[in-house]
Amino acid sequence: MIEVSGLSKRYGSVQAVREVSFSVDTGQVVGLLGPNGAGKTTIMKILTCFHFPSAGDARIEGLSVSADPVAVKRLVGYLPENAPLYGDLIVDEYLTFAAEARGMDKANRAKRVAKVVGDCGLSGVRTKRIEQLSKGFRQRVGLAQAIVHDPSILILDEPTNGLDPNQILEIRELIRELGKSKTIILSTHILQEVEAVCSRVLILNEGRIAAQGTAAEIAASMKGEDAWDLVLRGRNADEIAAFLPSLRGMSSCSGIDVLSAGALSLRVAMRDEGGGSDGLDGGERIFEWAVANRLKILGMARKRISLEDIFVKLTEGEKK
Amino acid sequence: MNRIFVLARKELRSAYNSPTAYAVTLFFLLFVSIWLFYVQRFLAMDSATLRPYFALFPVAFILVVPALTMRSWAEERKMGTAEILLTMPFSEWELVLGKFFASWTVLAVAIALTVFVPLTVAPLGDFDAGAIMGEYLGALLMGAAAVALGQFASSLSKNQVSAFLAGVVVLLVATLANLVASTLELPLALADFINYFSLSFHFESFAKGVVDSRDAAYFLLVAFLFLFLNARVILFRKWS
Repeated sequence: MIEVSGLSKRYGSVQAVREVSFSVDTGQVVGLLGPNGAGKTTIMKILTCFHFPSAGDARIEGLSVSADPVAVKRLVGYLPENAPLYGDLIVDEYLTFAAEARGMDKANRAKRVAKVVGDCGLSGVRTKRIEQLSKGFRQRVGLAQAIVHDPSILILDEPTNGLDPNQILEIRELIRELGKSKTIILSTHILQEVEAVCSRVLILNEGRIAAQGTAAEIAASMKGEDAWDLVLRGRNADEIAAFLPSLRGMSSCSGIDVLSAGALSLRVAMRDEGGGSDGLDGGERIFEWAVANRLKILGMARKRISLEDIFVKLTEGEKK
Repeated sequence: MNRIFVLARKELRSAYNSPTAYAVTLFFLLFVSIWLFYVQRFLAMDSATLRPYFALFPVAFILVVPALTMRSWAEERKMGTAEILLTMPFSEWELVLGKFFASWTVLAVAIALTVFVPLTVAPLGDFDAGAIMGEYLGALLMGAAAVALGQFASSLSKNQVSAFLAGVVVLLVATLANLVASTLELPLALADFINYFSLSFHFESFAKGVVDSRDAAYFLLVAFLFLFLNARVILFRKWS
């Protein structure tokens, strides 16, 4: 259980996180999503007691990160961004150190190290020096040290960064497996990753939470916007563009592209008025409008709102 | 206590897995031996005391100790491993002491290896074993103070090179401050004041083989003070 309330963090003149509040229940896998500099890493650094918050507090299993850091650190496994490691240690030495440092007793230690070596696919490199390993193996060593003490909370900063597609699938599978018994927060740039492993998403922008919930919930909260990709033919492109304002219920149009003299491709967003005054939905209205203006519809496809669209919309919208 | 030991063991593994610790140890042994036998011409002095030998240690420490401590914090910061170490359940004191004991152990091993010089020359004259023990004790205590200073310099630096240079400058000043007092004609009170801050001034009695508890307390106090400051720096970084 992670509870974050009114969390703010300022680095000098930079306000990295502004009054963020959220909570994560046991057994949830939550994805932090946001452009670079949105505050994802800062939130993770605070949850792992690497930095103290400037204001607000975070509680891990009821323990405050600012009042009780050593106790919090015992419960948490952390994979920092880019998986920093001690290059001059051997993989086995390093994992053993990580287990000892987190207070595992000798009997369990060897067993756990052997288990995470197997889980993370490190059997072939146990006796190698970490600096000799490839990026993919380093990332896995970083993940192995984070889970070696079987923490109830796992915080992963871009866990699949730098891995090849097969390794990414393996690590995602591992995270899904771990998520059954642990509370996990992970950050990523890859939107499919969130859809693949996370039960909930927090979208951050400029230090604030722009949206949260399941991917479906966020999509639903943004409903009222329906996107359509159209290819239209009329007498000429300018004329089609001139007709656009008369399309009822259109909230915006973008990506206008002249295909040939009289053909145009574009994307329009339609407000869903839920069968409003005229009882038509967005698609029907576009059809009626095209017919009324004697435009031929060469292509028409409804865009499902993906996490990607939401992400772009939320993070761009804030900038304006 | 156990966790300090866990960290110190990891630091020692790191140190002896890389060539730096061996190179520094070798440098130290060659430096003091060559200086003793070729520059000071110890055998020609024809006196059964190792005072000139141990008097060299403070000078050797100026280069040797920063070379051992430069990595301790600066490298963690540069490689980002600080983020791993500081998110493990260690308190600031445990971190600082774990690193301190590791560097001090490497230095102690180097100091212990110099025992071959006393063993070699012992049959040549009537050396006082008690004095030699006192001299070794002094070297270890002064080493502790120097390691704490070097480690503190490392905690303020972003990379090994600046940590090394900062350590050398600090130790150079701390070691040679008493030369100022002995070369310039200063009022007695001022000279005493400057001497008090000099590591080698407090090592003078030890170099003679005399164990003065005030000097021992001084070295321990310096070590404690800079380890304390080091722990503060680590804590302060969490707020910034």
